[in-house]
Amino acid sequence: MVTLNVNGVRREVQAPDDTPLLYVLRNDLELIGPQFGCGLAQCGACAVLVDGKETRSCVTPVASVANQEITTLEGLPARWAKLRGLSAEEAKSTLHPVQQAWIEEQTPQCGFCQNGMMIKATELLESNPHPTLTQIKEAFTTSGVSPNLCRCGTYVAIIEAVQHAATIMAKRS
Amino acid sequence: MATMSEKPSNVIGPTLSRRQFIKAGGVLAVGFSFVGTELLKADTAKVATFKNSLDPTLGSSWIEIHPDNTVLIRTGKSDFGQGSTFTAYRQIVADELSVPFEAITTVVAGHTDLTPDGSGAFDFLGRGTPNIRKAAAYTYQALLDLASEKLGVPKEKLSVKDGVVTGGGKSISYGDLVKNQQLRLTIPVSGDLTSIMGLTIEGNPPMKPVSEYTVIGESFKNSIISSKVAAKETWATDVRLPGMLHARVIHPKTLGSTLVSAGQPDKKQFPNAQVIVKGSLVGVVAPTEWEAIQAAEQVAGATKWTDWKGLPGNAKLYQHLREQSDWTSAPIEKSKPSKGDVAPVLASAHKKHSATYQLSYMKHAPIGPTMAVADVKADGTVHIYVHNQNPQALRGEIATMLGTTPDHVIVHAYPGPGHYGRSNGGNSGAEDEAVLLSQAVGKPVRVQWMRADDMQWSTQSAAAYSDVQIAIDEKGKIAAYQIDHYMPAMQDDRPVGAILAGLPTMSAPQVHSGGVTSTVNGIEDPWVYAQVTNLTENGHGTFQVGQKESPIAVGIRDHSMRTPGQFQQNYPRELAINEAAALAGADAIQFRIDHANEERAISVLKAVRDASGWDTRPSPRPNPVSTGATPVRGRGVSLMLRSGTYWACVCQIAVTPSTGAIAVEKYTIAVDPGIIVNPMQLKRNVEGGAVMGIAHALFEEMTFDESGITNEDWTSYPIPTMADIPEIQVVLLNNPKVGAYGGGSEAANALAAPAVAAALHDATGKMIRRLPMKAAYVQAVLKA
Repeated sequence: MVTLNVNGVRREVQAPDDTPLLYVLRNDLELIGPQFGCGLAQCGACAVLVDGKETRSCVTPVASVANQEITTLEGLPARWAKLRGLSAEEAKSTLHPVQQAWIEEQTPQCGFCQNGMMIKATELLESNPHPTLTQIKEAFTTSGVSPNLCRCGTYVAIIEAVQHAATIMAKRS
Repeated sequence: MATMSEKPSNVIGPTLSRRQFIKAGGVLAVGFSFVGTELLKADTAKVATFKNSLDPTLGSSWIEIHPDNTVLIRTGKSDFGQGSTFTAYRQIVADELSVPFEAITTVVAGHTDLTPDGSGAFDFLGRGTPNIRKAAAYTYQALLDLASEKLGVPKEKLSVKDGVVTGGGKSISYGDLVKNQQLRLTIPVSGDLTSIMGLTIEGNPPMKPVSEYTVIGESFKNSIISSKVAAKETWATDVRLPGMLHARVIHPKTLGSTLVSAGQPDKKQFPNAQVIVKGSLVGVVAPTEWEAIQAAEQVAGATKWTDWKGLPGNAKLYQHLREQSDWTSAPIEKSKPSKGDVAPVLASAHKKHSATYQLSYMKHAPIGPTMAVADVKADGTVHIYVHNQNPQALRGEIATMLGTTPDHVIVHAYPGPGHYGRSNGGNSGAEDEAVLLSQAVGKPVRVQWMRADDMQWSTQSAAAYSDVQIAIDEKGKIAAYQIDHYMPAMQDDRPVGAILAGLPTMSAPQVHSGGVTSTVNGIEDPWVYAQVTNLTENGHGTFQVGQKESPIAVGIRDHSMRTPGQFQQNYPRELAINEAAALAGADAIQFRIDHANEERAISVLKAVRDASGWDTRPSPRPNPVSTGATPVRGRGVSLMLRSGTYWACVCQIAVTPSTGAIAVEKYTIAVDPGIIVNPMQLKRNVEGGAVMGIAHALFEEMTFDESGITNEDWTSYPIPTMADIPEIQVVLLNNPKVGAYGGGSEAANALAAPAVAAALHDATGKMIRRLPMKAAYVQAVLKA
């Protein structure tokens, strides 16, 4: 039995300690934001935030993150609502600015990697609200255990969406 | 067979009837309009009545007009990230029907029982007339007939705006026209539902004049992006059925191995894991995914295979292709534009260019490995839950494998990672394996390939080489051009699990295999230099490498990938044209303009010249540099016509001679697809293709030894990162007078390679005629 704190909710799961967090999230907790891309921490499709840090759930043993704060794509709106002190009513109808920007900029093609891209963008913008182009490129290539990979080649749209999200976040503050 | 109708009315060949109808022989009867919400509710999936997978008495059809003025459309084409079904298709239907974009509230795609036409997720815009456009045009005529009858006004005196028909001082909405009636429009259809091309709507219904388009041309958003971004979409990877087991498949040691003995898991460690063996197909199933993964790893270590070394290895690939491959069994395909007599002109050329160009195997490399959930029921009915570019073709392949008929196979389509062509012939790897494992255990089974499976057991974009000879005359123009393209069969649609299990499949590529699965190498790259008077373009085809040598008939299986066949032919052509321009002492863009007649080809070249800041001069640049640690800059150009769209691209690069590293610094692309349906979506598709194309040029290469593919992950098969992308400028040229909309997703990935190679020559004076242009290779060539 492992106790997890996922998207602000305590969840108890029956899974061997060494089970990668990804399979627990997807199969036991029905959180389908993170995707299986490589199982090797080489692409970022499975990324979640663990205590605010972008983490590859495909190689993270579930027991190693017990009681840490885990945020999946599903938890981004609530994370934003909490950060900005939105009312419960407002929070329900609000997506995280990163998600809003991803829609506004029509960023995804197939979208399979975009979970990780939005998680990485959230991590970046929480620590650096106004990243330069160089800083954005660094965030998505050298800041993590591997670059965040997109096979459809949506990097231009990702950069524009990160910049757009930064603008939305600045307006709200 | 007769159509049963109460009151037919005449609509350009098709028939509009009240009540019900019976399918006519050889023609798919297509339902239109359902009227009454009660009937709509009854519109639920039924087991297919092959070949018509739609129950003709129910509401599965192309288009439905509802009493509340909303519209539903259905298409066999699944979305793979192009967004066309959710944007362009709705825009096209909206304009043909004269309804707002927002009125089209539902798009049903892919599901074999709920969509009418099959075919694959490619060529969405159908060179201007996709099925859905004709379906809408027929529907519009039927609605006018209904309105004419209802209002008592002749059809030609009616006009429609926002779904309201007006004439003779009266008006009625589409919703009111269909309310409380049960109407069905039958339209003529031909084709084979489970073939790669599916069904085609026949006839020529009147289409909306381009000048009256109000929805086409606007940047409507793609609705599925919103649900994906909000984690509200159910992906194929999310499907979980009651009692479902997780599976991993242990693929053979080599591409020619057969099973000697399968290992077994340690029962204490993995009490619930079970090994399934069918021929040389070995699967491990378990109730949890983690147990399946770990047990499969253990079983793989204890499983014994025969050895096989029957491949040339990639270091000897081109030597093997030229010297060992059988280029005589398939007839040589000569292009239609070929004309004149090249031989004497080449023999007496003022200046002559002769060269060979080589292009490696590449992986489609979807960002998520192939997976599928299959549920084989006790009565033999098979349900497959999957992300697949051609669900109807998959259905046919699974039926062949099981010795049943396609009506026993139902494919449920869900979103997933882009496949870039890999599954457009019906399978991407996991589908048949999931079916066989489910059949064996009598429960739903989810097969998920691991990253290495996906690199090593999937198909690839075919390698190719081309020999080019060009004669330049005294005036610096091309007097003769001959290109001979050599490429192994580029599409093997056999499901690999069925092959391993020793079950029936279609044949491996042969001369007489149908269409794209043949060994015949057709000319895919339309000629654009019409002023050349002596032209020969030949396509030479052969079997896949290892196909005949492998004891299990596997070897290196190929499959069409983004701009299939044409990439392999356009890269050598365009690079050779750059070389011919250099030989003639001409500017590479002006040289192209001087050999083209088509105004659209010339205009994309001029557009890309202006936008890129191109300085008109011959290549290489004055004083080219091929040594030293200081980056040297150059630029190159390429041109392509594909699916009704003209493309031109300029790449500006910096190469560091001492390391051989090439950085594309600026990428400019001009696109004339005729009518632009959705500028925003087109731009995003082009940008994505551009990024993929830079990687094709610089580093993507499937590598293999004598036994199999040696790429296994994203380190050994790198794809672009954000750090690799240049400044990208997309110039969209809307050209309504063309009167049709061309494709806009493919081609962008193919244009970079010849432009980058030409830019390298421009910078250094040295030419590289092989892809990919990896740093070590470039370094070696520059040193030589």
